[in-house]
Amino acid sequence: MSPGDGTSMDDGNGRQCLVRLEPSEQTVYIAFGGLLEEAITQAGLSVPLPCGGQGRCGRCVVQVREGTVRRRSALRLSEDDIEQGYALACQTLIEGDLTVWVPPHEELVQRLEAGDRAEKAAPEVMLCDHAAKPWVARYQTTVEPPSMGDNTPDLERLQRELARQHGLRDVRPTLAALAKLPTVLREGEWTVTVEIEQGDWAAPDGPYRLLDVLPGSAETRVLGLAIDIGTTSVATYLGDLETGELVDHASAFNSQIARGEDVISRIIYARQPEHRQELQERVITTINALVDEMLARQNLMPERIALATVAGNTTMIHLFLGLEPQYIRTEPYIPAAGKFPPVPAVSLGLHMRPEALVDCLPVVGAYVGGDITAGLLRTGMHEQEAVTLFIDVGTNGEMVLGNSDWLITCACSAGPAFEGAGATSGTPAVTGAIEQVWIDPRSLEPTWATLGDAPPIGICGSGMISLLGEMMITGVIDKGGRIAGHGRSPRVRRGEEGPEYVIVWAAETGAGDKDIVLTETDIQNLLRAKAAIYAGATVLCESVGLAITDVERVLIGGGFGRHIDVEKAIQIGLLPDMPWEQFTYLGNTSIQGAYLALTCREGRAQADELANKMTYLELSADGRFMDAFTSALFIPHTDESRFPSVQRALAEARPERVSHHD
Amino acid sequence: MSVAMPNVNETWTGKILEVTLGAGPDKGGTRGKTVTVGGETTLPFLHFEGEIPNKPVVAVEVRDRAPDDWSELLVKAWGDSLKDPAAWAAKAEGLGAEIIALSLDSAHPERGNTGAKEARETVRQVLKATSLPLIIYGPGQPDKDNEVLVAAAEEAAGERVALGNCEEKNYRTVVAAALANNQVVIAKTPIDVNLAKQLNVLIGDMRLDRDRILIDPTTGALGYGLEYTYSVMERVRLAALTGDSALQQPLIVTAGYEAWRAKEARTNDGVPTQWGDWAKRAVLWEANTAVTLLETGADILVLRHPETIPLVKRAIAGLMTRAGA
Repeated sequence: MSPGDGTSMDDGNGRQCLVRLEPSEQTVYIAFGGLLEEAITQAGLSVPLPCGGQGRCGRCVVQVREGTVRRRSALRLSEDDIEQGYALACQTLIEGDLTVWVPPHEELVQRLEAGDRAEKAAPEVMLCDHAAKPWVARYQTTVEPPSMGDNTPDLERLQRELARQHGLRDVRPTLAALAKLPTVLREGEWTVTVEIEQGDWAAPDGPYRLLDVLPGSAETRVLGLAIDIGTTSVATYLGDLETGELVDHASAFNSQIARGEDVISRIIYARQPEHRQELQERVITTINALVDEMLARQNLMPERIALATVAGNTTMIHLFLGLEPQYIRTEPYIPAAGKFPPVPAVSLGLHMRPEALVDCLPVVGAYVGGDITAGLLRTGMHEQEAVTLFIDVGTNGEMVLGNSDWLITCACSAGPAFEGAGATSGTPAVTGAIEQVWIDPRSLEPTWATLGDAPPIGICGSGMISLLGEMMITGVIDKGGRIAGHGRSPRVRRGEEGPEYVIVWAAETGAGDKDIVLTETDIQNLLRAKAAIYAGATVLCESVGLAITDVERVLIGGGFGRHIDVEKAIQIGLLPDMPWEQFTYLGNTSIQGAYLALTCREGRAQADELANKMTYLELSADGRFMDAFTSALFIPHTDESRFPSVQRALAEARPERVSHHD
Repeated sequence: MSVAMPNVNETWTGKILEVTLGAGPDKGGTRGKTVTVGGETTLPFLHFEGEIPNKPVVAVEVRDRAPDDWSELLVKAWGDSLKDPAAWAAKAEGLGAEIIALSLDSAHPERGNTGAKEARETVRQVLKATSLPLIIYGPGQPDKDNEVLVAAAEEAAGERVALGNCEEKNYRTVVAAALANNQVVIAKTPIDVNLAKQLNVLIGDMRLDRDRILIDPTTGALGYGLEYTYSVMERVRLAALTGDSALQQPLIVTAGYEAWRAKEARTNDGVPTQWGDWAKRAVLWEANTAVTLLETGADILVLRHPETIPLVKRAIAGLMTRAGA
């Protein structure tokens, strides 16, 4: 039996137990049956209790190294943890003499990171696992200098050597490369480094193009740009095309937001040609700003970027390329193209080599775009037998269900709530964004954690999920999402926009000017977003005769933040009630998939196949969706029997609130 | 030759709760009559399949101020009693009403803006004038509903009245008033089985007993969406009988309010002669709406016209008679 695996039932009433606390080597006496937390407090030490000692947050974990305890709740602990003696100080009763390790604060935080959260390292890079031909590569070549006996022109001279030394036949120069060639050849004393574009998705075998020529053996890298154009946010990865190594990354809100929050309002705005042009300029300005930021940081010139791969929903790609988007919106919902021809960067004005190609990943339909093709590519679920549900929680919630044999997809409009836009104190997942919140059920005082431990500036998607779950469990809101805790705390108040909950008072914020709040309107937006996603997922499963809980794995993509708290996401009914280990959070799958297609020839080919392979389920033509949506418009769900773990959590949280610490 | 008929009876796992309105002196009230509805273990009137222990009942709408937008047919039928809610209630009882549905309409900001004091007075008068149980409706404006329904609930403490409407936006106040004074609430939602269930869950979370709730699923009149609301009520009842505990309350419908909004009942101006006699048509419009809703599970029907009362009660009596009995 391991230390702390207490099963002692003997009645030790009245007995004083000696508790030794490490590493401070303090000792205190506590009556048999007392809480570990009391022992720690009595010794003048502390453990964090953001949830108010309810055993819900797991932040007060300590390790019982010797002695007998009884765990009233071990909700945050795995079997392994218990085996190793870990216990929640607020939930663990002393039943004998003990030695307890009270970890310093940093260690606590670290343990917590690995808890019930589906975590992702940001940013994630997918490397090509086989040594395939990069889309653009450098070759060093030494050319025989011309003479009166060999008066072959410079270009043909170079082409001859490229064919002979590297097997590259019929390489065609861009005008810019040809213009440089005579000088560079001589400057490099007939040794040059060339940058060769080795085909594109539409013509993988060529003709190859000579993009650039540099004197000598140049140490420059060939860079590629992956772009994810989201309705709300734009993300970019800058990477080395030859090695797949990620060089830099940057993201920002899509400046088109000023012209409508969702794709439909953007399409409506784009009805006038000058507006369509404005939207194109806006997104390109957003992308260029990100590119400039990365290039400046890396001290690189735009010419080094030799290829861009773009993923985005169908509307975003239309607006990016300046295509007419109107027919996406009206029956029978037809995009201008499914597979887009590669276009030269100069025609779009992107800050990169003007002649280099910009490649947009293929779309499945009007509302399932290249972002989902990219995301699917990233997940690899199309190569696995397990039935997997992939949910990309964006402004347009898109999802794919299937495995190596079949794939079905649908889209539902979720709104930008989980991306931090459209909420009073919303922010994208940047430094200072609140990513986790606990609420003390008695005082309703919150404890929060921010990205980068910086002063809070707002609340990002993962923070909203966490906050909403806590508000529901502590009764700050009712199951309909209405603020219900009036009079229990000054934090529950009527603000300018109606009822709201104050997470951070203005004085404690990064900017110091405004309280960070979640209003009832914000909550209703979050509720609609989560209902759309859950309803879409259930209808998608039902369409192939599965219950959502039959799914073996759930992969989650989206821009919530560093992680998603699966427990809270289940509590609010965003994710189905399944064991936590069946969920994996992948972060922004669209940008990762775009990066994979950029740096891996095979990945790009797979993207095409996947777009062909997916069956598209149109939810607007499916009567089940509205019903599923209305029933999901409740926390966690109108049919509570779908969420047994939440029912248990509520039953535990509510009586506990009155029964102890009184 | 005899053919064996298969038994097609369903076995339902759920049962509709019995809800009692009104309390006599033995239960702390002053009502001469009380009404219990619900208790069904089968779909409407399938006596061969399950129990229907309580018959559906007729409530008659009484207002605390003479309505200025009612059809002249209704105005003529009720005469001077329209000006006095107590007299109106007494007359309705005489005409066969089984519940008085008192509407505190004068509290509406645009229709008198009366307050808690007047509401108490009206409730007191009406309780005195009738031996029947009461339903008390607010004016349908959230702030005023909160004000006068709380006052009415206190005034009628012990009488087990039904307070309405209890909706998503005001349920906390209405339920708190019901909890404090042992009353019943009418949970009203807009024609959706999910919304009906959600409101009942929210009310349940405030710990109001499940048998102190009536469901008003919102209905339409004949020709004005009746069939859609019929289906929604059917879904509510099917969910209840298959065991969904959050929907197992009796159903109340405002058939009179709906029917008298319909042009066919309200007016005779500019209608084709083929529509026939107005007075007859109007009453039949209301009766038809009510009887249709009866068939899909209505337990309490709130009516308006005196002549509709016997028509609907006759239909109920017929439907409650077991075949062969």
